[in-house]
Amino acid sequence: MTDYIAGGVPEPLVPRTTEARNGREVAALAGRRREPTVGWWGMAMLIASEVTLFGTFIGTYYYLRFSNAHWPPPGTPEPRVVVPLILVGILATTSLTMQLAANAAKRGRLWATRAFLLCALVVQVGYLVYEVHDYLDQLRYSTPQDNAYGSIYYTLLGADHVHVAVGIVLVIWLLWKLLRGLTMYRLNAVQGVALYWHAVNLLTLVVIGVLLSATI
Amino acid sequence: MATTIPPPSARAEDVLDRLERMWQPRPGVLGWLTTTDHKRIGLLYFWATLVFFAAGGAEALTIRTQLIQPNQHVVAPSTFDQLFTMHGITMIFFFIIPMTTGAFGNYLLPLMLGARDMAFPRMNALSFWVFLASGIFIYTSLFLGMAPNAGWFDYVPLANAQFDPGHAIDFYCLGIIFNGIASSFTASNFIVTILKMRAPGMSFNRMPLFCFAFLAASFGLLFALPSLTADTIFLFLDRNVGTHFFDVAKGGSVLLWQHLFWIFGHPEVYILIVPAFGIATEIIPAFTQRRVVAFPLVAVAELLVVFIGFGVWAHHMFATGMPVVTVVFFAAATSIVVIPSTIQVFAWCMTFITGNARFKTPLLFIAGFIFMFVAGGLTGIMFLAVPFDQQVTDTYFVVAHFHYIIFGAAVFPIFGGMYFWFPKVTGKLYFELPGQISFWIIFVGTNLLFFPMHIVGLEGMTRRVYTYPAGLGWGPSNLAETIGAYITTVGIVVLLGNLVVSYIRGLPAGPDPWHGATLEWTIPSPPPEYNFAVIPKVSSAYANWDHADRMEDRRKLAESVMVLEEGHEQPVSSPVDGWWAEIVEMPHDSPWPILLALAMALVFVLLLVHLWAGAVFGLSAVALALLGWHGEEPQEA
Amino acid sequence: MRDGLGYPFAELATRGTKRRRGFAAAALLVPTVLAGCSGRQSTLNPHSHASTDLANLFWVMMAVAFGGLLLVTGLLVLAWIRRGRRGFGSDPDDPHPGERAGWWMVVGMGVVFPIAVVVALFIVSDGLIMNVTSAPAASSTAMTIEAIGHQWYWEFRYPGTKAVTADEMHIPVGTRINLVATTADVIHSFWVPTLNRKIDTIPGNRNRILIYANKAGVYRGTCAEYCGLQHAHMSMLVFAQPKAQFRAWLRKQAAPAAAPTSAQARSGERVFVDGACSSCHAIRGTSATGYVGPDLTHLAGRTTLAGVTIPNTRGYLSRWIVDSQHYKPGNQMPNLQLSGAQLNDLVAYLEGLR
Ligand code: HEA
Ligand code: HEA
Ligand code: HEC
Ligand code: CUA
Ligand SMILES: [Cu+2]
Repeated sequence: MTDYIAGGVPEPLVPRTTEARNGREVAALAGRRREPTVGWWGMAMLIASEVTLFGTFIGTYYYLRFSNAHWPPPGTPEPRVVVPLILVGILATTSLTMQLAANAAKRGRLWATRAFLLCALVVQVGYLVYEVHDYLDQLRYSTPQDNAYGSIYYTLLGADHVHVAVGIVLVIWLLWKLLRGLTMYRLNAVQGVALYWHAVNLLTLVVIGVLLSATI
Repeated sequence: MATTIPPPSARAEDVLDRLERMWQPRPGVLGWLTTTDHKRIGLLYFWATLVFFAAGGAEALTIRTQLIQPNQHVVAPSTFDQLFTMHGITMIFFFIIPMTTGAFGNYLLPLMLGARDMAFPRMNALSFWVFLASGIFIYTSLFLGMAPNAGWFDYVPLANAQFDPGHAIDFYCLGIIFNGIASSFTASNFIVTILKMRAPGMSFNRMPLFCFAFLAASFGLLFALPSLTADTIFLFLDRNVGTHFFDVAKGGSVLLWQHLFWIFGHPEVYILIVPAFGIATEIIPAFTQRRVVAFPLVAVAELLVVFIGFGVWAHHMFATGMPVVTVVFFAAATSIVVIPSTIQVFAWCMTFITGNARFKTPLLFIAGFIFMFVAGGLTGIMFLAVPFDQQVTDTYFVVAHFHYIIFGAAVFPIFGGMYFWFPKVTGKLYFELPGQISFWIIFVGTNLLFFPMHIVGLEGMTRRVYTYPAGLGWGPSNLAETIGAYITTVGIVVLLGNLVVSYIRGLPAGPDPWHGATLEWTIPSPPPEYNFAVIPKVSSAYANWDHADRMEDRRKLAESVMVLEEGHEQPVSSPVDGWWAEIVEMPHDSPWPILLALAMALVFVLLLVHLWAGAVFGLSAVALALLGWHGEEPQEA
Repeated sequence: MRDGLGYPFAELATRGTKRRRGFAAAALLVPTVLAGCSGRQSTLNPHSHASTDLANLFWVMMAVAFGGLLLVTGLLVLAWIRRGRRGFGSDPDDPHPGERAGWWMVVGMGVVFPIAVVVALFIVSDGLIMNVTSAPAASSTAMTIEAIGHQWYWEFRYPGTKAVTADEMHIPVGTRINLVATTADVIHSFWVPTLNRKIDTIPGNRNRILIYANKAGVYRGTCAEYCGLQHAHMSMLVFAQPKAQFRAWLRKQAAPAAAPTSAQARSGERVFVDGACSSCHAIRGTSATGYVGPDLTHLAGRTTLAGVTIPNTRGYLSRWIVDSQHYKPGNQMPNLQLSGAQLNDLVAYLEGLR
């Protein structure tokens, strides 16, 4: 039969996601991929809109800042500097572990994937626990109801924590999924969540930076 | 057109059977509730939005009846305020966007891209159910007599708890956020579909203009909505938690609301119009048998109009006393945004002229659309003369501007599109004469309805007034407008009636009654579940006019290559040059989208009634639904 | 030039000029006052150099726009005339005839032409006209007036004097007035189309606009930004008077209320001061200092009530007091339970407040 060429590639050469049944096959198939997957693109879209949302929050922060003479207003304590910075630094490292997990999954190394995810999870949970505690602690000195500064401060920070929390849930879900081996679907999931975490870490850095800008 | 079709081989026959079985939908109502088929979802969107359109229209007619003459008492002032607010919200968020993206986009994009479904079929279903839930959510407020009543752009402080106690504005905030979620899902889904699910070989420059338009609209939605979401979140917090985003006394800002709203609001209006451009650029080639003039320019213009549209928002705030530099900057930006539109208008006109125009009903609607769009666009340009804008802003002159553009330029193509794709969707031909009659009724009606609004606007009639005194000379124009409104309604009813009758009585259409330009005309009508038996070969943006390719597809079917019948299979290609990247397994029908939508609805209801703890519980319901969702593992992810 | 357009608006514009004659007289007739007296509340019936420029700007834009619309319609009609020139389905032979010509047209008419038009418009309107119509520098102007929007009436103050009034603003003819628009509650918009463009009242801002009247007369204005239930009934009247007359008026407004003369009026005053009224209304010279409603010190000097909703006659006034919700459903003034005698006294008193 005549060998038709569609989009440059004849049908038999194209990777078929249904082929993969176990880690090894997944690795083989993933190796033949030359393009980011549909799932990756989907996650990219989600991130795009989340980033825009934070963009609006941050825009609001500065709009309010420049329509106020004193920022933070007199009587409102300035944001804490040292600890948050250190913590964010630590959280940022999880980008590495998450990426390693993704790469391991791509090579079909199930255990390595689990291990890296677990490392990331520990750090992330640690970060969130402290931040939430700190958040509640700050609420004792100033509240969102005090003034516009408080409103945007706590909204922005809170929104960021929520994203971290969601990320943690995702990682836990991944680990649970990976209990029953690796599939193409789960590989895509790991890669997607890794991407999500890169975004969240970046956002956290920016958000903390913005909030601390009030001290200078 | 007569072409030599190779004899149907037995091989081809059983290939088709296997596809049939593979893509068999669940029977009955359950099939519709759990469907992930983009065509069925498109139809669901269509019917739902039509009902909302009827609601918004009913509100509009009540408004017009109240304003038919000075000092009328058809409805109470409080009711009137709810009516125009709901009218605006309904028509924009629950009619045009879901009708263009939801109905037309869902049904047609995969067909034009040579795909078998959207990139994320279940998310597609989810967006519909979320959209429907949000619509029901916000309309319950109307029946509870506490509908949003601060106008569709809902300016603070009027919308603050202090001046608008009760739940009206909470319904607005939550309803808008809820609806925004649906639109964002649709937008991301469309973008990924257009970038990744094109038939292998369909490089960007071989993509139909329709798809460019929807790509633009989707990007617009994706990046515009967050601004509105943030805005409504702030307002909800201000009203219910006691924050001070918009409270001047506590360091907040009133104009912050307006900026955030219009940063969404203006891109929004282009999101409304660009899909209409897309529909026009499909109908015109089909009925002129000529490729669109200056194709690349038009494609770029479609993307550009949305892009520039992000930089002009403050032209809605010229009267708020912003610094002169700001004002002048946005006036200048507004003058640039005009260019992409003018490019397209003249490209269409030249296609009309150099082609072989057959003025069938769809093309009539497109001609009407061009006329109305130019008329409305030209008043739009007048607004960039800031001092003049400060004369007519918040008067009926503005109302005239945007109805000319919205009804004339966004709704006309929708009507034209209904007629154009009716044969494809139903397999029947519509009746031509009633179609043309319906066009003329609507055309005359809308102009009688909206043209006098320019005059009363200039005569000083402000918008959002529930009545007006006699002796200011506004009576005659308003009377004309109201009559026009009723004529328009008659026209719309005739149009829909015609389609219903055609559905029952119409003659069989065959796959390609118009000798259309794009891929959807290469397949039977109505299309089979799997859309394309053979993944089509594409070597130009007017695939259906490339005979060689279509013949090749037929041969492939006979030899059963490029059929992908081993599962719910679908090719994925590279974003730009359409290189064939992989073959993925698409998900089957699923109950989870509708269940998830219900869980989300629960959360919003609980938020509305301030059961914060309950809302958290609702979130766990959402989580459960998501778990169930991801329990099924197609290879799509 | 306008009539030369042969466009429906032309007739409208001249209508304004016809009614212009003798509006000083019209001002006296209450019904016409309600109707907006000196020509309608119309942007195309200008009575100041500012709004004249704006009206002319509109007519020019109208002409150009009409040209653009004709052009496009012409092209469509041409297509209709040429319909069916080429045989059906002839596309495969020649997929794009006249492409080159098309490109020229698209680039020429779709890019060059609009840019030219828009740039010209931009320079003229946002450069020149913007300046002549914008608020005067505080130095260059004779006087400042404060317009304060309330749900749903306008309060006017004359800085430097004690004068406070509502819904009816008096200005000297031929004087560049610096009008400062602020708000007591939500966003309103101060707009007198026949005198100048509008300006919003934004909480926390002090927006300014130029007000100027060429001739003596009464000009109708209104609140243009949706501000709640009675946005429809938040109009105002601007009385442009010769300078001398205006000064007299201002002196009168600045003075406290005239003490009631008749016994009836005196008891009316008591009703007002001791009753609910004083909790919302101020009458300078008495102990009534409420600030919810309009200042009533010189109420009788006004021609209309409650945002140009009803004429200020004995009948309307008394009906307003007992049943304001009938004329302005949802307005901030409750219907007040008063005995017939009390009401008469009250109205007698109020009518004495010249
Ligand atoms: C589909 C929706 C849609 C579209 C496409 C547009 C298109 C445009 N709009 Fe409009 N607009 C609205 C919907 C839309 N608008 C709505 C809903 C509002 C009111 C919101 C509210 O207040 O409730 C509004 C309000 C609005 C305002 C604020 C008015 C005010 O409140 O004071 C302004 C101001 O600049 C404006 C400008 C424009 C311009 C310059 C265009 C341009 O894109 C138009 C470009 C098109 C053309 C120019 C036509 C082509 C013309 C030719 C080919 C002829 C030759 C051309 C020349 C000679 C220049 N619009
Ligand atoms: C998509 C946008 C859209 C559309 C199509 C329309 C259509 C119409 N609009 Fe609307 N309008 C707006 C968007 C739109 N409008 C917006 C955004 C505002 C501003 C709101 C605000 O100020 O906050 C506004 C405001 C507005 C006002 C000003 C209110 C005020 O300021 O006081 C008026 C007044 O006449 C009006 C009238 C109409 C009329 C008569 C129609 C008619 O064309 C309607 C005709 C349609 C029908 C009559 C429906 C017929 C349908 C069927 C019969 C379907 C039957 C099918 C089933 C039963 C399944 N509109
Ligand atoms: C709860 C507050 C309140 C009370 C009490 C009240 N008023 Fe008023 N009054 C208002 C408000 C507010 C307006 C403006 C209504 C509008 O135009 O929207 C008004 C308007 C008026 C006007 C029209 C003024 C103008 O210039 O248009 C008159 C006259 C008047 N009140 C008289 C009275 C009298 C007499 C009483 C007592 C018997 C009274 N009011 C009690 C709030 C009040
Ligand atoms: Cu005040 Cu409208
Ligand atoms: Cu706009």
